[in-house]
Amino acid sequence: MTRAPMPRLLLVVALGLAALYLFPLYWMYVTSLKNGSEIFANPPTFWPRDPSPGIYPQVWAQRDMAVFMWNSVVIASGVTAITVGLGTGCAYVLARYRSAWIDAALFAILMLQVLPASVMITPLYVGFNQLGLLDYPRLSVILASAGKAMPFYIVLVRATFMTVPKELEEAAQVDGNSRWGAFVFIALPLARNGILVLAILTFMTSFGEYIYSKSIIQNPAYQPASVGLSSFLGPNSTDWNSIMAYAAIYVTPILAIFVILQRRIVAGLTSGALK
Amino acid sequence: MRRIWNSITDGMGFDLVLVGLAMAFLVALAGLPLIYNVMMSFQEVDMFTLGSLIRPWAGLDNYREVIAQPEFGLILRNTGVFVFGSMIGQVAIGFALALFFMLKFPFAGTIRGLFLVSWVMPGLVVGAIWGWILAGDFGVLNAILKSLGIIDSTMFWKSDPRLSIWAVTIANIWLGLAFNMLLLSVGLQAIPRDLYEAAELDGANAFWRFSSITLPMMRSTLGAVLALGLIYTLQQFDLFPAITEGGPANSSNVAQYWAWQWSFQLFDFAKGAAVSVMMLIFVVLASAVYVWSTRHEVRG
Repeated sequence: MTRAPMPRLLLVVALGLAALYLFPLYWMYVTSLKNGSEIFANPPTFWPRDPSPGIYPQVWAQRDMAVFMWNSVVIASGVTAITVGLGTGCAYVLARYRSAWIDAALFAILMLQVLPASVMITPLYVGFNQLGLLDYPRLSVILASAGKAMPFYIVLVRATFMTVPKELEEAAQVDGNSRWGAFVFIALPLARNGILVLAILTFMTSFGEYIYSKSIIQNPAYQPASVGLSSFLGPNSTDWNSIMAYAAIYVTPILAIFVILQRRIVAGLTSGALK
Repeated sequence: MRRIWNSITDGMGFDLVLVGLAMAFLVALAGLPLIYNVMMSFQEVDMFTLGSLIRPWAGLDNYREVIAQPEFGLILRNTGVFVFGSMIGQVAIGFALALFFMLKFPFAGTIRGLFLVSWVMPGLVVGAIWGWILAGDFGVLNAILKSLGIIDSTMFWKSDPRLSIWAVTIANIWLGLAFNMLLLSVGLQAIPRDLYEAAELDGANAFWRFSSITLPMMRSTLGAVLALGLIYTLQQFDLFPAITEGGPANSSNVAQYWAWQWSFQLFDFAKGAAVSVMMLIFVVLASAVYVWSTRHEVRG
């Protein structure tokens, strides 16, 4: 457990495991670069014989991906804005006090985190229908997803605020700051990194949101990329190279952000992941 | 008026406003719909009464009809296979990987972090990729297994009724593995190093150290991870439309997809609500275990 005799060998094993685990991602990119007949070659080729990146612009245009991707960005931005806007202050107060009321609030938030989206979509759809919100389908999806994303955000941002020493804020208040001043000028800047990481995580998760959008948004002009992908995906799909090209275009931005911020995301998650 | 304003800028009011805004939002978009869902499951809901709040009372009829469906038993069984198969796979492999990455070697943390890529991927994309890997005649998994001599005939993962639920389960194990590994790593890092050193001085071998220190010290973490596994597996939806659409003949259908089909393919919202209320019972049980096993962290 504590002594590793051969670090080099272990590194090789670790790289092997990672390669095995990340094979599906590799397979997505490789398939997208193959032509229509090569994807059905038997045995399959593990490196495309004649890589054709021309498929990316082709799928992008053919599938109207500009519209879908833009809608995904709109929905993810809206969810992130609401979650961060309302969740940050709540997490801050929950981190500042210890009382039965705070415990009860935290417990309620934890409980809301566990509700499956597939359970919530039926009442949300019927309720939105009654309120007339279904006429604004993207707004409906933003509200529904923000309700889903917020508990997770509050719990983890609260853990970040717990690491900010209370004394600093008290000092600021003694110097004449109001509670708002202490919150905005002391606590927020000190918790900035954690908040940023969790905001990005919220954005990435809602960028891939599917079930609410699929159920609520009927007009293709407002659908996000996930629903666009599902329209030509199913048990009997055959044009796998365009599906994989679509998938690659869709996830590459998320993967790039993740790889760049990997260290910080892992740290942000582990600080409060189990709470 | 002035007193209220002062309290908002500089007193209890400040806390109440900050917590209240978020809580009001959550109650409106999670709490109320939840109650509404339970209410609908006892009502008759059709296209004409969709817009009204007070509908004819149906009692337990929705539940009775759902349970009387011929596919009910099959879907219950599939949900069990999917949930427990995913949980066992994720925890077993995740634990093994977490233990492996506790060893000291260069870049251990960075390589472990790369595994988390699966966690930020959209579920539908993961489903698309696995749907292609598991394809019958041209899927790469069959080709690899054949060349290794593990199978000799083609496995139709997605269209064979005996295999289809496992196709989705395999994809879900891949998807949730990294998150399980991360949580278990956090638990492992919290075990004091000197315990192992003391045991080593006493001559305990690796297996003995694992079963007498690691496992008991990890009990609450494992409880939390298993409960979270149950919760997240019951939340998993995107893989089903992407890989099998619940088919063939419901052989890979599970409760969460069935509930959605009732509401959004058959437009029988009351039945959809009834199925999801039944699911909620399991979710609440799992949450009780989860809260119990993390009670130290919550209060701490």
